[in-house]
Amino acid sequence: MKKNSMSPKRKRTIGQIMNRKEVAGYVFILPFLIGFFGFIILPMLVSFGFSFTRFNILKTPSFIGLQNYITMFTSDATFWKSFGATLYYVVFSVPLRLIMALIVAMLLVKSTKLSGFYRAVYYLPSIIGSSVAVAILWKRMFASNGVINAMLQSTGIPSTIAWLGRTDTAIWTLIILAVWQFGSSMLIFLSGLKQIPVSLYESAKVDGANGIHRFIKITLPMLTPTIFFNLINQIINGFMAFTQSYIITQGAPRDSTLFYTVYMYQNSFAYGKLGYGCAMAWVMVMFVGLITFILFKSQKRWVYYEAER
Amino acid sequence: MKKKILSLLIMTAMVIGLLAGCSTKKASPAANTQTTEGNSSGEKEAAGDEEVTLSLVWWGNQTRNDLTQKAVELYMKNNSNVTIKTEFTDWSGYWDKVSTMAAGGNLPDIMQQDYAYINQFQESGQLADLTPFIKDGTIDTTNIPESILDSGKIDGSVYALSLGSNAPMMAYDKEIVEKAGVTIPEQPTIDELYEIGQTIYEKTGVQTYFDGGINYIQYLARTTGSYLFDELAKGTLDSSLLYFNSIAKFSDTDFCIPANLLVEKDPEIVETKPIIDQSTWNDLSFSNQFISVSSTAGRDLGICMWPTTADATTQPEYLKPSMFFSIAETSENKEAAAKFIDWFTNSEEANEILMGERGIPINTEIADFVKSKVDNVTAQVFDFIAKVTEIAEPIDPPSPSGFSEVEELGKKLVETLRYGEINAEDAANQYVTGSKEILEEAAK
Repeated sequence: MKKNSMSPKRKRTIGQIMNRKEVAGYVFILPFLIGFFGFIILPMLVSFGFSFTRFNILKTPSFIGLQNYITMFTSDATFWKSFGATLYYVVFSVPLRLIMALIVAMLLVKSTKLSGFYRAVYYLPSIIGSSVAVAILWKRMFASNGVINAMLQSTGIPSTIAWLGRTDTAIWTLIILAVWQFGSSMLIFLSGLKQIPVSLYESAKVDGANGIHRFIKITLPMLTPTIFFNLINQIINGFMAFTQSYIITQGAPRDSTLFYTVYMYQNSFAYGKLGYGCAMAWVMVMFVGLITFILFKSQKRWVYYEAER
Repeated sequence: MKKKILSLLIMTAMVIGLLAGCSTKKASPAANTQTTEGNSSGEKEAAGDEEVTLSLVWWGNQTRNDLTQKAVELYMKNNSNVTIKTEFTDWSGYWDKVSTMAAGGNLPDIMQQDYAYINQFQESGQLADLTPFIKDGTIDTTNIPESILDSGKIDGSVYALSLGSNAPMMAYDKEIVEKAGVTIPEQPTIDELYEIGQTIYEKTGVQTYFDGGINYIQYLARTTGSYLFDELAKGTLDSSLLYFNSIAKFSDTDFCIPANLLVEKDPEIVETKPIIDQSTWNDLSFSNQFISVSSTAGRDLGICMWPTTADATTQPEYLKPSMFFSIAETSENKEAAAKFIDWFTNSEEANEILMGERGIPINTEIADFVKSKVDNVTAQVFDFIAKVTEIAEPIDPPSPSGFSEVEELGKKLVETLRYGEINAEDAANQYVTGSKEILEEAAK
């Protein structure tokens, strides 16, 4: 220390720079930063460049301007079909999953001896739910001679429906799979619920509010920041869904379960149209970005932050 | 302060160590094998003493995966300096996987190759020329017929070595067929198959499967001596219309397995084929699959050729190299890879394990050797191939770029047709116009 103060010129030695507080912070997040720029930002920028090329994966790319985007919007019916299927999936699976997560979170919020155990059990599907093994299990469960039909039959409903083979039911098997994986939203809801001051409930009780009133007037408003966070997270997750569609249905029947990501994958790697795939990826980035932007804008209308009162 | 610097330095060292982790990992297996080599030095060292690690990928099913793995282990035991890393997937994911590898410049040393894709990979310079290895005897071709070597040739150079011969075949459930009291001809016509299917459904309630995908459209084109991709390039409707009409003829009946069941009983994967659980009595694929279908089904199956048309002017049945091995241009161990391929093709010990699962061995002596050893099921395939050899016409040229998208378009239209949302004529029209566009785009 003494040496440094004696010679002001050498004040900016490496030791000095390293000692500054911000630098320590950056060093600590360095592994993340390297990964983020090297494996996310850089490939994204590269893919943006590729989206203006005809790029058969085995050949060198050639520049074709906006052709990929024009083809996509004007003459690719499957593009719109996959877009529609994905939107349908998100519109139904996200709210259902959040409702499910909230219900279970409310049941588990009371601390009992077993609550830790239950939390773990209900969280489990989130960990294993997007795995290939579960996807294959799902395929078997919803087969025409699978468990679901057997259960329906045992309750007296003579069902031989090929759930995966009908355009109206196939996507719902995927939605149910998504709803089943409510665990991570549930945990976030749980912590949100615990932060609601008990005093609010107590005074409401004194005023004679019943359970439903307390839920609508206290729990929901106080929980809106958590709901908002979960909503954005899950919507982004929903648009990125891949495994379910790819493993369970491969888009069948009639492209009714062909997720956007799967079609993008097919174009890029099966048909060798990587440039087109990159363009599709960027359209999705823009679209999800737009939705997120709208949600953030809508925050003012429905999200309640206690601190802003 | 000094403590802080120290801790930061340690942190940085850890981070760097972490980043370097990938490369250390790569080096370690080589080091491991080096030590094992020291222990078992005296064995056959035909490949020299140099440490070699080869990677090998194939598509397949459980039967093939088990057999190939066993053969690879034997090779590593005999050649202790060689380590072979294997990877396998089913057919549908395979080409996505390898084309991604190719784009990344890390195609495995040895890849299983298909007749439909060999052109695309060769065109883009991914495949090593095997001709030098054949000339210097690394790959021994003395007992391999010229015509089979030719099937892997492009512009006069060999880029892939066939692993066996097969032919389009229809498998059928013997028990069900007997129960229904019908006989299956060696090569039924579509009309005959239609009647047989009807009878079987009436007698036993078991349904019929009818489709062979793009291979079957090509097959139907061959009945008139035409080549499908010529037709598609010109926009000619003939064979496509014949195909979609035939599909429609079957899908309109109740003895044909409905489309909604085919989603879960995917005929493209051996393990889920509808013949396996007797949802159907028949299945259309290629003869080398007969072995794995039989073993998965666990029943006695019969074998015949694909249905042809009643007014066929030429024989559509052909012999096909079931699959190839090719070596990546980027491979650093081409010679070691060639040695493995030679062993895989020409050695009795390898083929005693493989037992013709990839098709009848191309080395005629090995084929005879294997034939003397095989079980009933494989013998059926040998006999079938012998029969086909007598009548087969030469195979179509390898498929052009854009093949996989054309194939997918056909599948989608068949599905639409089966769901009753399009008629055969429109489907054929859409198929031809769509394919023409795809092929033109892919050729650019």
